[in-house]
Amino acid sequence: MDEEDTDGYKEPCNQCAAVDWGISDEGRFYCRSCHNVIERTREVVDMSFTSNSNRISRIGNKSRIRKSERGYIWMLCEGFQFILQNQADALLRLGVTPQFKDDVLCQMWRLYLQKSQQGYTRNPIRNLRFRGAALDSDTDMDSAAESVLSDNFTDSGSVLCSSAGSNAESSSDWLGSDYSSTGTSASWKRSRSLMTMKKTLALIHLALVWSREALTLSDLLRLVKEGHVPYVTAYEDLPEEMKLCGPDALLFHVESIPSHRLVHKEAQVLVQFLQLPAFPPIVPEALLHPAPLSLRYLTDANLPDELHRWVCVLMDRAGMADQKRHTLDGGLRPVLPRYDLQAAALIIVTIKVMFGLDDHTEWDLLNKADSHDNKADMFSFRKWYKLVQAALVEAQQRRDQDTARKQWKGKKLFFVDKRDRLIVTKRRRISENVQMCLKRLSSCPVAVHYGGASSFQFCWGDENGSDGPSLHHTKLDGVISLSNGFMTPLNLNYWHPPLRPCNPRTCASHYPSMEPTLPRSFVWLLQLFSFMLDVEAWYLFDEVLEMERRVFGIKTPQMGQQLETRKWLRTEKTNATQTGDPAKKPRTPRKGRNRINI
Amino acid sequence: MEALDEYLGPPVVLEDESDSSDCSSRKRHKSKLPLAKSKLPLAKPMCVEAHVENSFQKTCRICLEHVREAMLHHRWQEAAEYMASYTQVLEDRSTVKSQPDKELVWRMSTEILHHLPNATVKDYNIIYERMKHSGFKHYLMICLEHSFHLMLHGDIEAAKHQVSIAESWRHGKESVSQLQRIRLIHAYRSLLDYIMWCEKKSTLSNDNSFESDSQGMHTFFRLASTNLQEILKNPGVWDPFILCYVEMLEFYGDNEEAQKVLNHYAYDNSFPPNPNAHVYLYQFLKRHDTPDKKLMKVLKHLQVLVPSHELMLTYSCLLLQSEKESHTQKALGVLLEMLDFQCWRSNLDVWKCLHAVIHQLLQREERATSVQTQMAVRNDWWPALHFTSFHAKKDLEENSELFEVKASLVEILCPGRSSRYTTEMQMLTS
Repeated sequence: MDEEDTDGYKEPCNQCAAVDWGISDEGRFYCRSCHNVIERTREVVDMSFTSNSNRISRIGNKSRIRKSERGYIWMLCEGFQFILQNQADALLRLGVTPQFKDDVLCQMWRLYLQKSQQGYTRNPIRNLRFRGAALDSDTDMDSAAESVLSDNFTDSGSVLCSSAGSNAESSSDWLGSDYSSTGTSASWKRSRSLMTMKKTLALIHLALVWSREALTLSDLLRLVKEGHVPYVTAYEDLPEEMKLCGPDALLFHVESIPSHRLVHKEAQVLVQFLQLPAFPPIVPEALLHPAPLSLRYLTDANLPDELHRWVCVLMDRAGMADQKRHTLDGGLRPVLPRYDLQAAALIIVTIKVMFGLDDHTEWDLLNKADSHDNKADMFSFRKWYKLVQAALVEAQQRRDQDTARKQWKGKKLFFVDKRDRLIVTKRRRISENVQMCLKRLSSCPVAVHYGGASSFQFCWGDENGSDGPSLHHTKLDGVISLSNGFMTPLNLNYWHPPLRPCNPRTCASHYPSMEPTLPRSFVWLLQLFSFMLDVEAWYLFDEVLEMERRVFGIKTPQMGQQLETRKWLRTEKTNATQTGDPAKKPRTPRKGRNRINI
Repeated sequence: MEALDEYLGPPVVLEDESDSSDCSSRKRHKSKLPLAKSKLPLAKPMCVEAHVENSFQKTCRICLEHVREAMLHHRWQEAAEYMASYTQVLEDRSTVKSQPDKELVWRMSTEILHHLPNATVKDYNIIYERMKHSGFKHYLMICLEHSFHLMLHGDIEAAKHQVSIAESWRHGKESVSQLQRIRLIHAYRSLLDYIMWCEKKSTLSNDNSFESDSQGMHTFFRLASTNLQEILKNPGVWDPFILCYVEMLEFYGDNEEAQKVLNHYAYDNSFPPNPNAHVYLYQFLKRHDTPDKKLMKVLKHLQVLVPSHELMLTYSCLLLQSEKESHTQKALGVLLEMLDFQCWRSNLDVWKCLHAVIHQLLQREERATSVQTQMAVRNDWWPALHFTSFHAKKDLEENSELFEVKASLVEILCPGRSSRYTTEMQMLTS
C-alpha cells in the first residue's frame, strides 16, 4: 500500500540521499533507510465519496504510469542495432566515408542477424527480448514496438529493419516467450553468437577493414577510449521507449574497454562465424597497407622520412609487399592481419637493422656520424632519443592522469530491476554529493577533456604546443655507406632472440622473462611504439618476433610437434644465456639483396 | 538500509571477463584443454596478475595512487581534485570490495578537508552524513568520528546529538566489533554529559545559583553516572572516563563509591595492567588525607609496574620517614632502581634522598652490607652510567651541589675502583 502512495515521490532523503519512502501510521513520510521523517503526509483519498468513480479513476491513472515506465518489448539485437548505429554515425562525423555505414556495416549486421538466427530466417531465436514487469501483451504495444524498429537505419536507405520487423510480425508466437527463463538464456550466452558490446567493436573493425578506411584497430580503440565513439555509456542513447531491465541488461553495462588482443580475437571469430567472402584487396595505395601505415608511424615517432625507403626494402624481404598477404579471404587467408602492429614491428626491425640496437652500436654509429661535417642535417640517434624520451614521459603522465580522472558512470542511471534502482540511485546520490563537495573546494574541472580526435600521439614541428622540433627532414647519411653505387647500412650485425616459434596454446609470451636480458634501447623502442598503439609491450614484442621470423624465413611448426619444439627452444635459450649475449648473426648474406640501386 | 547493502548485484563480468590481464587469460584458456594434453609441461605463468581487473577498477586504482601521492606531498588541492573523481568507486556494481572503498573515501576525504583552508562545517557534515548512510558497517565509527570532529570545534551540543543518534541506532544482531563500538559510544556520550556538567558547574560558581540550575546539573550527573557505572565494569583502559566519574562523585561527596570504583579499576585482575589506575588511586587517597601506610601500599604496586615513575621519589621519602629498618632497605632498592634509568641521572632530589638513605643505613650497620648486595649487580655498569670524568665535568658545570652529593657516594656505591669521577674533581680543584 505504501508503494502506491509513495510512488510519485522521488525526492532523495535529506539525511542519506536514498529514495526509499515509507509511510508511518500517522500518515507521514519517512525514509526507510535512515528513518528520517519529513514534512510530507500521505494524500488521503476520501473513500466515502462515490467509491465507484474513485476506483475507476485510480485504475486508469495507474496503468498509464506503468505503461510509460515499462516501455515496449524489444529484442536484444535491436538494442545493439541502435548502439551500432550511433557508433557508425560517430565515425561518419569523424570523416569515415558514408559507404562504410550503409553498404558495409549494415550488410555485415544483417549477415550476423541471419547467421545467429535472430532475423532473416523463418525460424528465429525467440528468447532474447526485453520488457518490463509482468507480461501482459496487447496488440497495440506490439505495433508500437514495430514503429521503434522501423526507425532504424531507414535514414540510410536500408530496408533492414522493416524487414526484420515484418519477420517479427509474421511469427506471432514470439509473444509467448520469456526472456528471463534462465536456462535458455544461459545456454545462449555460452554460445559464441551472442551479441556483446565487445562484438560491436569487432564488427565495426571488420567493416572498417572492408571499406579500407585509414582507421586501424588501435585507432578505433583510442577513439572509444577518448569518448569520440560511444561505447562506455552507449546505453544512454537508446530511445526512451527501450527500457533496460532484467539480468540481460547487464550486457549493455560496460566497465571496461576491451584490449586490442581481445577485439582482434573477437573479430577473427566473427570472420569465421559470418563466413565472409574475400575482402577487397588491400592495395599498396590503401592506407591499411604497411607501406603508408609505416610512414604514418614514422612521422608520429619523429623518425626521418628517409627511413621509409628501408622499411619498404625490409617489407619486400619479408614478402609483405604482396597485397594478398594483407587481404582477408575466408577460404585462402582466413587470418585477420593486425595492420597497426605489423607496421610498428616493421619499423622496429628496420631500426634494428640500421642501428643495431644492442646498447653499443647505435651510440657508436652516432659518434662516427657526429664527426661528419654537416651535423644539422644528419639524423642523430642520441638527439632523437632525448627528444622523444622527454615527449614520451610527458605523454605517459598525461595518459596516466587522464586514466585516473576518467568517469565511467553515465549520466543516466543503469539498473537492472526496481530493487537495483533503489541501490543505484542511493549510491549515485552519495557519490554525487561527496563529489560536489570536493569539487567546490578544489574549484577545478574534474572530468577529462580530450581534444579533437587525432591519428597522431605526438606533434613535431615549430608550432606552439608541439612536442619538439621535427627530425623528419634529417638524412641518414651517417649510418649508410655508399659502395659501388649501392647503399648499405654501416651496421653489419643483427641480434635477435630465439626465433623458433612455440605453440601459443602452451606458451604465454616470453617477454616478461626475457625483458631484463634485452638491450635497453630495444626495450625503450618497444615501449615507445606500444605507447603509440596503446597495447601491451609483450604483445608488440611477439609481433616483432613474428616479423623477424618472416624476415629470416622460419616456418611456423606443425601442431603435432609441440614437445619437440619446446625442447628445442629451451636448448636454444640456454645457449643464448650461457654466452651472455643474444645470438649474433652476421648479416652479410642479406646485405647483397637489400642494396638499393641509386 | 540493510536490504540495500545486503543486496549484491550480479557481478558484471558478462561483457568481457579478462581484459587487462591478457596473459593470464591465455593461461586460463589453457586449463580448459582436455586432460590428455594437460600432461604436457606448461609454461610458467609469466605475467599473471593477482586478480582480474577491468578498466573501471584500473581507473580507480590509478586515481587512488594519485590521491595518495598528492596527500603525501601535501598538495591538497590536487588531492581534492582526484578525490572528486575517485568517488565514482562508490558506484561500483561489484560489491566484493566496496567496504574498504567506502572507508577509504570517508577517511581520505575528511583528511583532505582538514587541510583545505576553505572547508566549512557544512562540507564536513555532508561527507560524514553521506558516508554514514552508505552502509551499516561503518555507521557507528563514522558517528563517533563525526562527534569527535564537532567536539574539536567546540560544538558540544551537536557532538552530543551525534553520539545520541548513534546510541539509539540498532542494526540486526550486534556483532562483537559493534558491541565494542557501542560501548565506546556510551562512554563518549557520558563524557559529553560530564563536559556539560562542568559547564553548568562553572556558570553556577560564577553567578548566584538558582535551584533549577543545580537540578539540571544533577540531571547530567545522573545521565553520565548510570552509563559510566556500567562501562567501568568492563575490562579496559578507561582513564579519561574514570577521572570524570570520580570528579563528579567527589563533587557530590560520594567518596566511598569513588574509592570503590578506583580500587576496582586498579586491582581487578581482569583489567589490563594500568599504572595510571594506581596513580589515580594514589591521588584520590592523597586528596582525602589517607594515612601514609595506605599510600605506600598503592605506591608499592605502582613501583612494580613502573620503577621509574616520578611518584617513586615520594614513595622513597615516605619509606624513609617511617624509619623502619626494612623500609629503609626498601627505599634504597627503589632509589637505585630509579637511578637505573637515564631520566633520573642528574636529578638532585633523587641523589639527595639516596644520600639520606645510605647515611641512615650506615648509622645502623658498620659496613653497609645491604648497599653492597644491592650494588653487586650494578657494579659493572654503574660507573659508566654515573661516574665517568665526563659526568663529573658536566655535573660540576651544571650543578655543583649534585656533584658534591654524588662524589660523597662514589666510594660507598662503587668501592675499590679508582673512580674517575673523584679524580676529575681533584684535577679540577688542583
